[in-house]
Order: sequence, then structure tokens, then C-alpha cells
Amino acid sequence: MDDKVMIIMTSGPDTPRRCATPFFFASLAVAMDYDVTMFFTIDGTLLLKKGLAETIFPKTGGKPVSSFMQEALDAGVKFTACTASTELHDLQPSDLIDGVKMVGGAFMWQLAEDCKTVLNF
Amino acid sequence: MATIRGCNLPEDLYYLIDKHVWAKPIDGGLLRVGITAVAAKLSGGKLAAITVKAKNIGQEVKQGKSLATVESSKFVGPVPAPVTGVLVRANDALAANPNIAVSDPYGEGWIAEIKPSAWDAEKDKLATGASGVASYQAKLEADNISCS
Repeated sequence: MDDKVMIIMTSGPDTPRRCATPFFFASLAVAMDYDVTMFFTIDGTLLLKKGLAETIFPKTGGKPVSSFMQEALDAGVKFTACTASTELHDLQPSDLIDGVKMVGGAFMWQLAEDCKTVLNF
Repeated sequence: MATIRGCNLPEDLYYLIDKHVWAKPIDGGLLRVGITAVAAKLSGGKLAAITVKAKNIGQEVKQGKSLATVESSKFVGPVPAPVTGVLVRANDALAANPNIAVSDPYGEGWIAEIKPSAWDAEKDKLATGASGVASYQAKLEADNISCS
């Protein structure tokens, strides 16, 4: 079985330049045959709101964050969102893009224990 | 030597067409492997890195599994193994200049050398010779890919 890694994404729309590399690293990890999960919490969860990531550009004139996210999803990165953080932002699960699994904080701790590496952005 | 839709595709290589990688028998029962001119084009032209997973050296990598990774500013993806084999060595020259895999994908820009585990069985499923290049041409036409 492939080694597991996790990327915890806390950056969001307030810091566009911090919102491309985590997805790039996630796609890269899949290309290296890691089993990759991203855990969105704090402001990272906002990126999962339908339509929002299309409006955030890490680099002027470059691709929107949604494009980096779609590449990660297409590569096979699993997206999980912290339920409590959706409440922080008054988001309903139905407000989020498709393919996101809602999980509690304990899921993150258990997965972290199983992972070879955990990165935090 | 054949040029198809602007892509240089030598007839003496063995291609895993769907993955855009090639293999070529060399001395000592080894295979040299790399990406095709098509992969070089699809990766966006200017590469930031080609990295062979160091942990894999001395280990068997299955056909189609990731042997290395390619990174550019526009793209990140695996270099799948064209055949199953034990990874013997990586091309150290790629660390200094990954773009030799674009400028000379079948020469200086090879990616790794492997000791094949089942070459006789697997080579029949790879595309080679004039018919192999014709199959590759069909793929490029179906996907509307050109290197020029």
C-alpha cells in the first residue's frame, strides 16, 4: 500500500500567494505514488466554497486557485474539510464544491498518526 | 528516425504510448528509459525539476508506476515505468539541468536505467519499429497533439 501523507490547509482568500503551492505539492506527491489527503480548516475551508476559488489569483495574470485545486483532484488527492471550520464561516456542506468529505478534528489526528509526513500551510 | 506531427519518434525505441515513455536495451541486460518528445511538449516546455525517487533505487518498480516526477511552472506529473524492473541508477545530469530531457529526450536526457524483470513478456506489449511509430501517430491524431 502506498505511504500516506497529509497537507493541512489553513490559508485562504486573504493570502492568495499561499494558495497555489499546497495544491501543487499535493499533485506532486500523487505523482510520487503517495496516498494524499488535504485537510482544510480555519480559512482554508473558504477555498472550498462553490465559485470562490475561481476569483482568487496567486499571481496576477496567472491561473486561479480553482485550477490548482482541480489539478489536485484530478490527480487523486482526497479533500476533507473540518466540520467546525464550516460553522466558523457560516457555510453549509451544500455550499462546498463536490468531492469534499466532511470530517471532525479527531479524523485529522488519526490520519496524522498514520501518515509518513504532515505539511501545514 | 521518424518525425510525426513535429514529434521526433525514433523507430528503434520501445514505447508505452499512453504514458509517453520509452525504453531501449543497452549493455548488461539493462534498459535505459526516458520521456518521449511528446511528453516533453505536454509538460510545458521549460522544466523546473526531474526527480527520481531515491528510495526506489535498488527496488522493483512495476510497469506504469511512478519512476520519477516532472515539474514545471505549469505542470507536475509522474514518469511511469515503461516496463517492470529494478531501478539501477538515475541520470545524475538531470539535477543540474532537467531541460536536457526536453532538448535531447532520447540522448543526454534519459531518466533512469533499470534491470527489467520480465522484458521478454512485456516488450511484446510495447510499440516499436515502423508499426509502433504508426500506432503512436494514431494516438497523437486522436488526442490532437503536435510538437511543433
